[in-house]
Amino acid sequence: MTDTGSDGPAGTGADHSDRRPGQPAHDEAPLFGPDSRFHAFFHDPRWALSIVRATVLEAAHPQVGAALTDNSTFVAHPWRRLRNTVVSLQRMFGADDEVRRREAARLNRLHARLKGADAHDRPYDAMDPAVRGWVVATLFESSVTMCRLSGQPLERGDMDRLYAEFRAYLAALEGDAGHLPPTVQEFWPYYDRVVEEELENTEAMRVILYRLFDHLPAPPLLHGLPAMWAAGRAVAGPLIGVITVASLPEPFRRRAGLPEMPGAQTLMQGAYLAAGLARFLPDGWIQPEGIAKLLALDPGGDDPRARSIGALTDRMKRAGALVRLLAPLPPEPDPAGGTDVRREAEAFFTAVLDQTGDGYLDWPDLAAMAREVAGRLDLDEPDETRLYDAFAGWWRELQAALDTDGDGRVSVREYAEAVPSLAGPALIRVAEVLFDVTDTDGDRRVDADEYRALFRRGFRRDMAGADGTYSRAAFVRDFLSFMAGRERSTAYDPLFSDA
Amino acid sequence: MRRRTVRPSPLGGSVTAEEVIDGSAVFPDPARGRPRGEARRRVPRHVACVMDGNGRWAARRSLPRTSGHRAAETTVIDVIEAARTAGVEWLSLYAFSTENWQRPGSEVDFLMRLVRRVVRKHAPVLHLRGIRCRFLGVTDPRIPPALARDFADLMTLTGENRGMTLTVAFDHGGRGDIVAAARSLIRSGVPAEAVDERSFAAHLPFPDTPDVDLVIRTSGEQRISNFMLWQVAYAEWIFPPVLWPDFRAAHFLECLDTYRQRDRRFGGVTPNANGERRP
Repeated sequence: MTDTGSDGPAGTGADHSDRRPGQPAHDEAPLFGPDSRFHAFFHDPRWALSIVRATVLEAAHPQVGAALTDNSTFVAHPWRRLRNTVVSLQRMFGADDEVRRREAARLNRLHARLKGADAHDRPYDAMDPAVRGWVVATLFESSVTMCRLSGQPLERGDMDRLYAEFRAYLAALEGDAGHLPPTVQEFWPYYDRVVEEELENTEAMRVILYRLFDHLPAPPLLHGLPAMWAAGRAVAGPLIGVITVASLPEPFRRRAGLPEMPGAQTLMQGAYLAAGLARFLPDGWIQPEGIAKLLALDPGGDDPRARSIGALTDRMKRAGALVRLLAPLPPEPDPAGGTDVRREAEAFFTAVLDQTGDGYLDWPDLAAMAREVAGRLDLDEPDETRLYDAFAGWWRELQAALDTDGDGRVSVREYAEAVPSLAGPALIRVAEVLFDVTDTDGDRRVDADEYRALFRRGFRRDMAGADGTYSRAAFVRDFLSFMAGRERSTAYDPLFSDA
Repeated sequence: MRRRTVRPSPLGGSVTAEEVIDGSAVFPDPARGRPRGEARRRVPRHVACVMDGNGRWAARRSLPRTSGHRAAETTVIDVIEAARTAGVEWLSLYAFSTENWQRPGSEVDFLMRLVRRVVRKHAPVLHLRGIRCRFLGVTDPRIPPALARDFADLMTLTGENRGMTLTVAFDHGGRGDIVAAARSLIRSGVPAEAVDERSFAAHLPFPDTPDVDLVIRTSGEQRISNFMLWQVAYAEWIFPPVLWPDFRAAHFLECLDTYRQRDRRFGGVTPNANGERRP
């Protein structure tokens, strides 16, 4: 009914309502913006469950799965990834067409860089329109299923409208929504066909179902409370897996050989129902963007919320210290062995360099760093390409210097053995380009606002120069000393290592 | 037959006949009966104790040296309480020097276990009294990780307290601290001309620690033994003959009184060269 296929990427929201004055009432509001169906869901706690489910269905698509396995940072840095996703969805579904156009262009540039072949040499391409259609389809279907499972199925009109919004999203991204059937009625056969014919038990899907939540690192804000986080995760991790599996379409569960757990269906429906009850909370209590941003806050940062949470964390730390001091003495543990330098190198490798968390340093890891910086600084062309090129140059330098066994990637061992020789000219080039793109006004100083854009925090008092700016030389020097693993706890640390 | 112990100690040297336990008078609360301002002024701001004589105390009683260390626990708690009540703002205790590692392994092991037990036992009380606890030194890898963890926990627990600051020098050496400060200074790239006493002191561990006003070394030994060398530059020293396990609040207050009689001139130098008064 709402064919957005003819719309250009820039002409979405406002055009629709202008063009169809005779539509029923629920269609008159703009497809994007605060009155959309999507926005209502966005603030619904059930959406957390349905997003996990959608991501699993996404990852079960062989092309998406391969792209995720190769490139995604969600295993090693899930909270940063979540924050970026939430910000992106907000921009895409917001009321401002110009913001949407820029975000779509950014996503397209980002996706254009994600290409390759999976373990069976089948090519994948994040720009493939059919694949992108499927990703949007999983979001729509999971939202609908979320309502069904929690006992409040969507009205026919609402479902049509939500579908139109998701098609408009795809159109904003792709230029047209031709790879999603035009109506909801035609959508279901399409969906069932993909589920039955195309989805596989991919590695990425298994990682999300069984590894991600069991190993989920604490969000930056809660870094101070590792024991509490681990305890909560040990209970919640497997539960999320079971709930998600139980909510997947039956034909797919059968084909992928996913286990049927007794009671899982009841548990899953209970979870959706319980999360659905949270809609009776007062308005504004649950704001996903607020929560995602809050979790990604750096406790050492200068955001007032970080400070109050920081105070809370300090209290929890003190309480933890007291509990440990009061606890009966455990048997004396053996002193840990191992050489310090090597351990530090390995820790740096895991926390900073290996962005995809697969145990190897490869181009996708450095690309993920470039992606993160480009996202934070909201870079446009040609700065984004300059940044990627600089990182690519650094990758070639690293590969030449460190990949001693010639498998095309750098292992922890290879890195730890060669650590001192890391700061070559290409890394200096990365630092310089990073400085240039951060210095948006081109005065060859990074001032407080530019600094905040990159690091999401203010200057530390001892670091800025006398005039409250950061000179190119100091910026490059600090970056090199961080990247060579010589100095931690700089501003770069939260930039690249925060979960 | 007094043995010359070269190091300060939680565990002293051998027995001496002339050591006295009760040769000191008990002094009343120094603040009592005086105008408040005057009393405050005359209480030393930073008192440090070199806890000497545990070993001799034990040997005098034909007990193993370890029991001397055990007996020291009571004194430590007594002195902390006395200092806090008397209005001392900073109290430092020399518990274990970098040279004490030369002691027999079994004694070192015993000390580590003892200190851990004492720290854990008294942590809640120290916290409730508003005492901020710190451990100066604690860098040697031979320190058991569990003990280091307890030290860190106690520092975390009491870090925000605003009462007296208790610094326990553990695995501490005054020269080592100065060398560490020099290293840190060189690393920060300060030009030689820019280094003065104040900026140098800012690189010492816990740079907010003020200069020591009074050092009490028990058991009659009269040595510095590499204790907080930088901070004791203008300290008054008192050497009560009492062995540390017999040292009590009364002796502590007596030392404060002796300190009050002293005429401190600082050789014309201002006191508290490093460290600002805490709010």
